[in-house]
Amino acid sequence: MSADSDSLFERLLPPSLDGSNGESAIEQQHAELKRNRLLRRLSQSALLVCIGILLLWSLQMAGFWKEEWIQYWPEFTEALTQYFPPALYFDLIPFVDVGRYYQFWVEEGLVGEAGITLAIALAGTIVGAPLALLFGILGNERVTPFPFNFLFRGVMSIIRSIPSLVWALIYVPLGGISPVTATLAIGTDTIGELGRLLTDELEEIDDGPIEGIRSTGASKPQVITFGMITQIVRPFIAWAMFILENNVRSAVGLGIIGAGGLGVTLSIEQQTFKFTNMMATILFIVVLVLSVEMISQRTRSYLRGDDDEEQLSLYELIVGFPERMSKSLLK
Amino acid sequence: MALRVDNLTKTYGDTTALSEVSFEVPDGKFAVVLGRSGAGKSTLLRILNGLTEPTSGSVYLDGEAVTNSRSDVGMVFQQHNLVEELSAYDNALTGTLNRTGFVRSLFNRQPVDDRELALEALDTVGLLDESGQKVSSMSGGQQQRVGIARALVQQPALLLADEPVASLDPSSAETVMEYLRETAETRNLTTLASLHQVNIAREYGEQFVGLKEGDVVFDGPREELTAAVLEDIYGYIETDELREGAESTDMNESIQKTDEGLETEP
Repeated sequence: MSADSDSLFERLLPPSLDGSNGESAIEQQHAELKRNRLLRRLSQSALLVCIGILLLWSLQMAGFWKEEWIQYWPEFTEALTQYFPPALYFDLIPFVDVGRYYQFWVEEGLVGEAGITLAIALAGTIVGAPLALLFGILGNERVTPFPFNFLFRGVMSIIRSIPSLVWALIYVPLGGISPVTATLAIGTDTIGELGRLLTDELEEIDDGPIEGIRSTGASKPQVITFGMITQIVRPFIAWAMFILENNVRSAVGLGIIGAGGLGVTLSIEQQTFKFTNMMATILFIVVLVLSVEMISQRTRSYLRGDDDEEQLSLYELIVGFPERMSKSLLK
Repeated sequence: MALRVDNLTKTYGDTTALSEVSFEVPDGKFAVVLGRSGAGKSTLLRILNGLTEPTSGSVYLDGEAVTNSRSDVGMVFQQHNLVEELSAYDNALTGTLNRTGFVRSLFNRQPVDDRELALEALDTVGLLDESGQKVSSMSGGQQQRVGIARALVQQPALLLADEPVASLDPSSAETVMEYLRETAETRNLTTLASLHQVNIAREYGEQFVGLKEGDVVFDGPREELTAAVLEDIYGYIETDELREGAESTDMNESIQKTDEGLETEP
């Protein structure tokens, strides 16, 4: 059977059907392997074509084939020079004018605004986390018999399907969009997100300690506390830190719709076309979020007992950086 | 207290795990349940501790039918079943849960007597100095001794041990068994242990109950536990190894042999 003289269709037919019975076992196996490889390539190409069509369709839906946005391109490049105002350092080195950012940080008291954003995220997380633990536990089949545990899982699913921005809108009648409603929104969101993660953690705990505690004649709440919760304390703290990270970002987003903190500054500067100030605020948000992320990651890696980079002290992290970079470049 | 098991039967669908099992253990005796994997040893112990409901039959302690057995019966598990995140002391203290209210136990506000009891129990198993140590950082043998301490803190009328040394190395196994025997003797505690290492069973047991496919095929003292009886309990496959184990004087060597023969124990 010579492949180049056969049509594609014939090459796709199983060998037993295309009259090659006289071939040796090795030749048959070879033909079969070739056929499989061809099939795999065809299906891979088909998949790529599908993804391509999906991309074109979604770009179309998003309005990318209209020409207006291209016309605005010069405005965007103009804005870029305001986002990153250039300056000459020592009359020699051109770079972004960091001084103007710093000036805005000080004048507007961004540290205080960041405090409000952080407070919203922290309060929301601390209020939501115990409730998430409660819902996560009640959603476990060992605690609440099937199908009643799905009542709690369902509540968490519904909470999750509503973004925290929308939760803030729901809480608006409680006094408009304010840090209070933002905190409530983030707390609610935390129940759904963290509760879901804890449900997964609870699925994977050992039966041993639960049985051990049961065998002592402990009551059901005691079995849950000592047999189950003790096993998820570390994952609970770790996930709560992760959720706190997300909540700081959400709190910035809620600020944009007026809930206070850095988000408010951001939207004011944007609406008054003070793009340099806006970028200064964004950079401050980056600093805030990265700080929270670093603390959160270090806490989590400590809880995991990892022996990796994340456990280095801040000093080692900075001083040892060139060495570690050269090492990873040489790898 | 004297233990009397009366016509205990347990069926799972069509499978009979225990069929009309009856035997007695006198007050303060150290009894051993022997049998192959699936002979019903674990089911028997779990019923005695109230972790599994029997299909029919009853259990009596000093002539009284046992109803709330989990509090009265201490249990030592093969896999220790401790709370690894807590210290040895906190684990021992969980033995008091059945007599402590939920809120009190939540904040570790057990009465002083109970707290002293936990330390005494840890002292009994030679772990007083390690009380504050986290269980997860302890060796298998130490963990099992914490398991014994937890059972003792319950102040049980009966002590059960389900394959207490099956997952331990020979020397830790010996230590754990020594503590178990010493505890049972000094506290005059009726003890029932399931063991598959025949030589360990012979060394520590005073009375033997042989289970085979859910039936009691042997019930007697050490002297009557002959090679022929073991052959009956364990069947032909491992007989040679077991006979060697039963007659061997070198304990460690024979533990390894029997371990190999019966590794499939769940």
